[in-house]
Amino acid sequence: MTLEGNPPQGPPAGPILVALGSDARSLRLVHAGFRMARDQGRPWVVAHVEVPGWETPEEADQARVWLQEAHELGAEVVWLKGPTVVAGLLVLARKRSPSLVIMGRTRARGPLDRLESSRAQEMLRRSLDVRILSLSMETVSKKPAAWGNLGDAVGITGAVAVILVVTGIFGAALEMVAGFPAVPLAFAVALGFIMHRWGRGVSALASLAALALYVDRFAKPGGIVTGEGWPRFAAFLATLLGAQILVDLMGQVRQETRSGRRREAETVLLMLLGRALARCATVPEVSEVLAQRLHSLFQAEAWVLLPGPEGGWNRLPPGASAPDCPPPTLLLPEFSAAISREDPLEPLYEAPCSYVALAGPGGTEGVLQIRLAEGGRFPQESWGLLQAFAVQGSLALERIRWLETAHRIRLENETERMRSTLLGAVSHDLRTPLAAIQGAASSLLLPDGALPEEARHDLLNMIREESVRLTRLLSNLLDLTRLESGIIRAHKEWQPLDEVVGSAIERLERQGPSPVRAELPADLPLVPIDGGLMEQVLQNLFINARLHGGDSPVVLRAWAGEGSLEVAVVDQGPGVPPEFRQKIFDKFFRMPGQTRDGGVGLGLAICDAILKAHMGRIWVEEDPGGGARFRFSLPLDGPPPDLPEPDSLEPAP
Amino acid sequence: MTQPLILIIEDEAPLRRFLVPTLATQGYQVDVASTGAEGVVLARSYNPDIILLDLGLPDKDGLEVLRELRDWSRKPILIISARNQEKDKVGALDLGADDYLTKPFGAAELLARIRVALRHATQTVLDTPLLQCGALRLDLEKREVTMDGALVKLTPLEYRLLEALARRAGKVVTHAQLLNDVWGPVGEGQTHYLRIYMGTLRRKIEPDATRPRYLLTEPSIGYRLNME
Repeated sequence: MTLEGNPPQGPPAGPILVALGSDARSLRLVHAGFRMARDQGRPWVVAHVEVPGWETPEEADQARVWLQEAHELGAEVVWLKGPTVVAGLLVLARKRSPSLVIMGRTRARGPLDRLESSRAQEMLRRSLDVRILSLSMETVSKKPAAWGNLGDAVGITGAVAVILVVTGIFGAALEMVAGFPAVPLAFAVALGFIMHRWGRGVSALASLAALALYVDRFAKPGGIVTGEGWPRFAAFLATLLGAQILVDLMGQVRQETRSGRRREAETVLLMLLGRALARCATVPEVSEVLAQRLHSLFQAEAWVLLPGPEGGWNRLPPGASAPDCPPPTLLLPEFSAAISREDPLEPLYEAPCSYVALAGPGGTEGVLQIRLAEGGRFPQESWGLLQAFAVQGSLALERIRWLETAHRIRLENETERMRSTLLGAVSHDLRTPLAAIQGAASSLLLPDGALPEEARHDLLNMIREESVRLTRLLSNLLDLTRLESGIIRAHKEWQPLDEVVGSAIERLERQGPSPVRAELPADLPLVPIDGGLMEQVLQNLFINARLHGGDSPVVLRAWAGEGSLEVAVVDQGPGVPPEFRQKIFDKFFRMPGQTRDGGVGLGLAICDAILKAHMGRIWVEEDPGGGARFRFSLPLDGPPPDLPEPDSLEPAP
Repeated sequence: MTQPLILIIEDEAPLRRFLVPTLATQGYQVDVASTGAEGVVLARSYNPDIILLDLGLPDKDGLEVLRELRDWSRKPILIISARNQEKDKVGALDLGADDYLTKPFGAAELLARIRVALRHATQTVLDTPLLQCGALRLDLEKREVTMDGALVKLTPLEYRLLEALARRAGKVVTHAQLLNDVWGPVGEGQTHYLRIYMGTLRRKIEPDATRPRYLLTEPSIGYRLNME
């Protein structure tokens, strides 16, 4: 196969278009489309045309479910609206020029209906010049009982008529024209048809009747049998038997084809279920998926029952409560025992619901409760499928249970690690200033005159400075804990940044001369922030810059970005080496060689937490001047609120 | 003239040990209550000139004590509270407290606040239609604002905002109080109005809007017109 160009005789390149109805059996079309697309390696599109006023909401929902399935199988799905289905399909087909259209064919309700349906197909075929594959959408008609209904007068009359017509007219005519003994063959075919249609009994009666009618014909030399009496009758019986065997064989083949198709459909269903369950991350999601699938498959309501406190049950999904469908009276272990005593596949039935244990390799997770729409027990042919659903459900539940356990353990480990880091840092950073305060105080209490005035003053100053440090450490710790546990939330209000910058600088100046210079453009947009928290961010950055940047000036700049407000705090210190630019925002992180004067390592972690609470972010980069350049970005989300016109609010004179 | 009497309502012994001698050495008379109930009784008996009230009392809510005191007393009340109780602080100011101090605080700050509160108690706003702080001069009668003698043009709203602060000059005015004074019921909860007009006002009055000298921000609580 060459890579250039299309092979001249190759199949047309367009996608396969599946026209989906809202019929419960439309899934068959989806599967056909899936198989063809897979086999031919072509894209496929599944479309549903909504004709206003034609579908009930339930039907539309059903169509949505099928589209979802198709989407999961890799199809592109389209939901169209059109005056008629054909019109909608035409529009889509012109756009996508499909190579093949797959659509359903339902049993026509009358000759006109049939005409309509085939006219629609013809129209599509002509206007699109496309192949159309129409699949029968009829449900498999019920097989008649082996012996049929012997009292079925219509059946017998019909059967006789068929035999007469087929054997008498067709067979005899053929025989006459071709000189070939076609009557026995025609008789056998007619019998086969009757057996299939009305059952064995009717066909035997009909053939007897036909025999009586044809006695003359049968008796003739050169007729069906040339012999006399018994042999003639034996030959008749043999023909009957032959027809019977033929019909049985045909039936078996049909049966196998049908069950093969069903198995394939079930495999696809289970695969889809598995996929949907794999995406679930919570128990309610699993129950939703199970309930939804069981509903679309069996038209049944379904719930997942999980063992609750005090031997009770929690029913999920929570919204869907069914007052007339109580949880089973049995407790979980007893329930599993009750299940295992029965045929392993049969669901437990406690009117009006059926129950299946959600049992997997890790034990019984819960119980699946199902109520069929038409009530009653679950049909036996679906037991296997239902059990397979239950196994998949229990595996999903078990997976989630393990995930939750793993998550909890990880969280516990993390908490433990944090606690020990915290204890280590806090005990050290609390002890040091406390030791200084204690020492200074006891020195001051020495008898008068032991210390020169200057030394006393120094000690007093130290007590004050160390207690300021302690206070800062404690409030930082408290803030971070509150931020992380969500006790503090950002109460955002639109405001100019100037004010926050101003009060941060002012607060800094209270502790000594401030090296900070703010350069804010006059047209800086308003920004939605929590003033108190943002002030803390700035203050922490200023304190940091002052600690590490020496006495060199610190500059704050702000400007409007795209949908955001950008801020930079630049110092002229040694900067932050690239390998620590992430880590410095971690709790208790101190750069190697950094003294405790540099703080405990909480300030930047608090900044990070506050920025996150504002949906913004903070980072550090190198300033072209060589120092550290802390940057943060605040989202503006939307235009600021309107202010009432000042004129309208002019104070009364 | 006798020295002003200060009533301290504070349950924590270390803080009392710090407050009593500090205030006594400054020449104030000091009375101490360690519970809210005791404080209310002492306040009724001695009618102190200023009350220092801790919000975290063991027997009753500090705000409740404040409400009881404000039922009959117009004397200045200074709130002492722990950090991160912004809501309580705002509540106390809205209930009529004059100022607040956040623990821990230094002696200098405490004494300065007490001086301001006492000065306010002895003068009423009507006595002073003229307000001078630094280069800023405000004439409430003529509705005129000058900066170093030069007239500052304010919009009616800006003037009204400045006036609302000036009428309580030196004291914290909460967001809610300012909004009510300037905008009336329309302004309720619209703190951003305040922030925005405060921004424009600062640009007209302050030499450096990011380092306000006159219009100070009390984060999360309100504003204060600086008289120092």
